[in-house]
Amino acid sequence: MTSLTSFLLLLFTAVAQAISSSGSRLLVVLEDVAEKAHYSKFLGDLEGRGFEVTYETPKSESLSLFHLGERSYDHILFFPTKAKGLGPNLTANLLLKFIDAQGNILLALSAQKQAPTAIVAALSELDIHLPSERTGLVVDHFNYDVTSADEKHDVLLLPTPGALRPGVKDFFSPATPNDEVIAFPQAIGQVLGNGALLTPILRAPATAYSYNPKEESEVLGDDLFAAGKQLSLVTTVQARNSARLTVIGSADMLSDKWFDAKVQKVDGKAAIATVNREFAKRVSGWTFNEIGVLKVNSIEHHLNEEGQGNQSNPKIYRIKNDVTYSISLSEYEWDHWAAFKVPAEDDLQLEFSMLSPFHRLSLKPTVSSEESTTYSTNFKLPDQHGIFNFKINHKRPFLNNIEEKNTVSVRHFAHDEWPRSYAISGAWPWISGIGATVTGWLFFVAIWLYSKPAGKGESKKNR
Amino acid sequence: MAPKKSQANAAPVVTTGTTTTTVPAVSTPAKKPSSDAWSNVASNILSHYQKTTPQRTKLIDLFMAFLVLVGGLQFVYCVVAGNYPFNAFLSGFSATVGQFVLTASLRIQTTEANKADFPSVSPERAFADYVVGSLILHFFCVNFIN
Repeated sequence: MTSLTSFLLLLFTAVAQAISSSGSRLLVVLEDVAEKAHYSKFLGDLEGRGFEVTYETPKSESLSLFHLGERSYDHILFFPTKAKGLGPNLTANLLLKFIDAQGNILLALSAQKQAPTAIVAALSELDIHLPSERTGLVVDHFNYDVTSADEKHDVLLLPTPGALRPGVKDFFSPATPNDEVIAFPQAIGQVLGNGALLTPILRAPATAYSYNPKEESEVLGDDLFAAGKQLSLVTTVQARNSARLTVIGSADMLSDKWFDAKVQKVDGKAAIATVNREFAKRVSGWTFNEIGVLKVNSIEHHLNEEGQGNQSNPKIYRIKNDVTYSISLSEYEWDHWAAFKVPAEDDLQLEFSMLSPFHRLSLKPTVSSEESTTYSTNFKLPDQHGIFNFKINHKRPFLNNIEEKNTVSVRHFAHDEWPRSYAISGAWPWISGIGATVTGWLFFVAIWLYSKPAGKGESKKNR
Repeated sequence: MAPKKSQANAAPVVTTGTTTTTVPAVSTPAKKPSSDAWSNVASNILSHYQKTTPQRTKLIDLFMAFLVLVGGLQFVYCVVAGNYPFNAFLSGFSATVGQFVLTASLRIQTTEANKADFPSVSPERAFADYVVGSLILHFFCVNFIN
């Protein structure tokens, strides 16, 4: 029975590894299953990448995220729905439980349809805030598409995002960026809290703002939701368990219409094609664990000293030992494991810690193969005995968290491991001090014995 | 000790005599006689020591002076160059000091004048004790310096 289960598990992981690194069961939630024709290219791309897509509506009785305590799906994709709630099968609590169970969620919102309360509640748990009236529309009078939104200015044209900051790999731009634009029609902007787990992929331009189109007034009052870079249009959350959630502010950008639309910038002369399809592929690929997934293949540490049996991963070291630590890492790239390369301005660091780190060292790549890179470092253990951890705590935006801890004991010197005093030049004067005392004493004893009769006679005479 | 003291007192009788003669000279501005007197004292002590001290006791005194010199050098080195490695300093210095103490004990026990205090300890016995004690000290110090 166990062998059968493990065989099935093996089979399942083998199948799973063919596409996403964390399973291929994808649930797509739509208002109406017929609506999928609207997004056929995007969904076709997902199926082409190997996802087993299940389409459901929120009203469906059979819809259930968990079966017998296990996730029924690996990933969920939400398209906007008209209903205010999503029903008892998709409550905010269940969505958060899904994330806790390492499920990934891709949320596509739209300014034209109210975001369901369950989703608003779940997002506010994650510190992502939507406009309170839930119908904020992002407009920009400087970066709109002239051909389709000449009046309303609500189709934003955004450059590809580029790297979040130096030292972070850019997962979401085309391999060779060439001034392509992403069309972002009828977007709803999000405002992010200070959480460390939140990372925006795409922010609104400085000239954009969010307003409520239902309000008739010509001037923007004090009730402006947010403006400029405050507005995040595509936001990611990577939970501590590396589950991923992405909010896309505009579901329309995933539609067939905008995948191959021609757009024209305000100052642009010719119409240019959008890169929505590429961008959508990369965002969904990241969310569904197809890119930016790291794996630890092996960790090895050993004594690095001459004349010692340097066996792997010993349980105990001595203070001031020279030690080598190495870790082998792979990164998942769409359909295969590849060597993980740390970006130029970033470091992979090892901590040698007991409560607090005694060493924090950068690891250098030593062995590189097609499928993995081995990072390692040599160092001298601190002059402190106790229980220590070799700790890798690598948490970077867009990469799943690596937290590896290997515990070892560090003992003090055994009594016969100290250096001899003559090995220390500072001790030589005192060694010669002992030498002088002992030789002086020997001479003294010799002369004493030699002079005994004479001395006795002399003293007798004196008496 | 007492007999030795009386023996020592016997010599200063001469020196006291010289000092008393120089007392009036101190009041006069000339200082030469005073320094002469002091060197007189020193040479008197020296000649008395050389005359009355048995040869073995002189040997002991020489050895003790040597130990003081060696110990002083080690201590000065420690002050100047630092005490690392500390166990080496401790054993080197204590070997010298310990040897000095043992030698002083030998001197006390073998002095003729102290014979009354140690009726049961013959000079041979005292020397044998001294050798055994010194060997133990050397063994300990060499062990401790590692």
